[in-house]
Amino acid sequence: MGLLELANVVLTKARGYTQNEIGEAVSRALDTLNYDLNDEIDLIVIKPNLCYYWDYSTGETTDPRVVSAVIDWVRQRIGNDVCILVAEADASAMRTKYAFKMLGYERLSQERNVKLVNLSEGKIVDREVVVAGEKFVLPVNEILLDADLIINVPKIKCHSVVEFTCALKNMFGAIAKPRKYIYHGKLTYVIVGINEIIATDIVLVDGIIAVGKTPKKIGVIIGSDDALAADLVVAKAMGKSPSSIAYLKLAMKEKLGDFDSINIIENPVRLEDVEKEFPKQNYLFKKLSWKLQLQMLKVYEKITGDVIPPILEEM
Amino acid sequence: MIGLGRMGKLHFLNTLRMKDVKLVAVADKDRRNRKAVEKHHVKTYDDYIKLIDSEDLDAVTISLPNFLKKESICYASEKGLDIFVDKPLARNLSEAEEIVRKVEVENVRVMVGVNYRYFDSVQKVKKLLDEGRVGDIVIATSELIMDGPFSHSLVPKPVPKWWFDKEKAGGGALLDLGYHLIDIFNWMFEDLEIEFSAIGYRFGLPIEDSATIILRSRKTGARCIINVGWFSKTIFPNFNFRVNLHGTVGYASTDQFAPRNLYFHAVKEGTLNLFRRAIGKKLRYLSYTYYYASFAEVLDQFFETIRRDVQPPVLLEEQLAVIKTIESIYRQNGVT
Repeated sequence: MGLLELANVVLTKARGYTQNEIGEAVSRALDTLNYDLNDEIDLIVIKPNLCYYWDYSTGETTDPRVVSAVIDWVRQRIGNDVCILVAEADASAMRTKYAFKMLGYERLSQERNVKLVNLSEGKIVDREVVVAGEKFVLPVNEILLDADLIINVPKIKCHSVVEFTCALKNMFGAIAKPRKYIYHGKLTYVIVGINEIIATDIVLVDGIIAVGKTPKKIGVIIGSDDALAADLVVAKAMGKSPSSIAYLKLAMKEKLGDFDSINIIENPVRLEDVEKEFPKQNYLFKKLSWKLQLQMLKVYEKITGDVIPPILEEM
Repeated sequence: MIGLGRMGKLHFLNTLRMKDVKLVAVADKDRRNRKAVEKHHVKTYDDYIKLIDSEDLDAVTISLPNFLKKESICYASEKGLDIFVDKPLARNLSEAEEIVRKVEVENVRVMVGVNYRYFDSVQKVKKLLDEGRVGDIVIATSELIMDGPFSHSLVPKPVPKWWFDKEKAGGGALLDLGYHLIDIFNWMFEDLEIEFSAIGYRFGLPIEDSATIILRSRKTGARCIINVGWFSKTIFPNFNFRVNLHGTVGYASTDQFAPRNLYFHAVKEGTLNLFRRAIGKKLRYLSYTYYYASFAEVLDQFFETIRRDVQPPVLLEEQLAVIKTIESIYRQNGVT
């Protein structure tokens, strides 16, 4: 019998919310992780979560200060010559060139001398993947396939469709096709599929502001050497059962993670402390009540002939 | 109806329900927008000029991006049509003056859709002011903080590119939201001068995303403080809009007349509309939303001016004054 493969997940917490305090927590998480960086790393892609034009203070997008700290750590550990790209793809409602500007990434790029890349532009290749017997063809920017190291810097958030989003769902955002809304019917499969095509090397979760029922500053930084392991731990920290989340269940079934068990390193924050602090949201209640409201609105529209605002229009 | 963007679609749906208004045709460049309204059996055009030239019309509504306002208003007025146009009237003062000159020559009505005047709560505060129930107003304050063009719909759609282009948009939160509050204070107190102004750029865009303004009415002496911004993630469930009048007798605030809980408000207003429908009375369209009802009301006011053949309740000179104030604020802040 072979040795058990362990995935490492490091939980840490920033002492405050300044760049230095965030930087210290990021370094602690990544140093504790002790990821094996060989000397053949020339190209690094950092993938933050820039899902829309809401800035870091809303908890919806990755704090550029966290990415800045990751850049510092990479340069300290690998050297100043390594090429670092900060990359994001366009989304159904978001255009990367505006998001980079509005969310502070253009400034970051100038101050830290890193390149910003729109993953929806440049050389895009179609990659085929089979998930639970279903075949998908997903367009991917070649940069992601050429990268020597992919650092995934997701948020900790509740999500209206798949219940929660962290490392695996952040890579869904890397699919080159802007109108990713078309995948929403098969989101569970596509999330697993894209992570089979593009393997994250390091995960550094920005939990400085987490979003549950409301956003809340909890100052948490989580490092991991496996995206699925990170998600399983984060789901637990959010008070969720990982097996109740469809894409995590599918990812486990598809053996997406290359591990037998997870080694949680609590340095210095404990998982139960994060769970206590996280602003929990009753996903099922929210989803059902929202659906019920929309249904009632449609019935009301039918009976009275009143108007439903176009912003609530569905496909 | 010209333009089927977010506002255009709302006007479209509202107009469809107006009993003595015949919606003849709509124009929009985007095929998907035209397709979305086809189920209502309304004729569509991909060009507003074709629509105006082909159809027998009394009036048009214009819900186009700011950079297309002047040319479309001028074209419709040349054809003798009365015009409802979403605010702002124009991108800048010179465009606004050109519009005013043109519509005077063509002798048509133009009404700008300053819907915030038509919020129930604003109407009630104005009534208290007019009746002298709060005395002379010394200080008035107002806030309108929301997501502006960055509001996220249920089906995600990109923010139209022109919003990011200063030349095409003409301005940011001040022109978009400040316009409403300056209009309200101009309507209440008249003859405003600028005492202080500051504009903010949190998002680093070429257009401002916040502004703080202090105006003073030369007529009444009232000092009016305005805060506007696009920086808030969403308007729901706490709609961040209020006008407060502090007078020598007491104070009046739109908060006193706004729903405390939008869910209860929706249920209450929805039920009232069900009753209205049951007894054959006219509905109060979109009243269950609080926010959107004012759009139906302002459009109805426009059609009412045509029905009764009178001047619109929103005067073009007032709108010119609003644009003049905004342009002065931009100039004070070095915005060219």
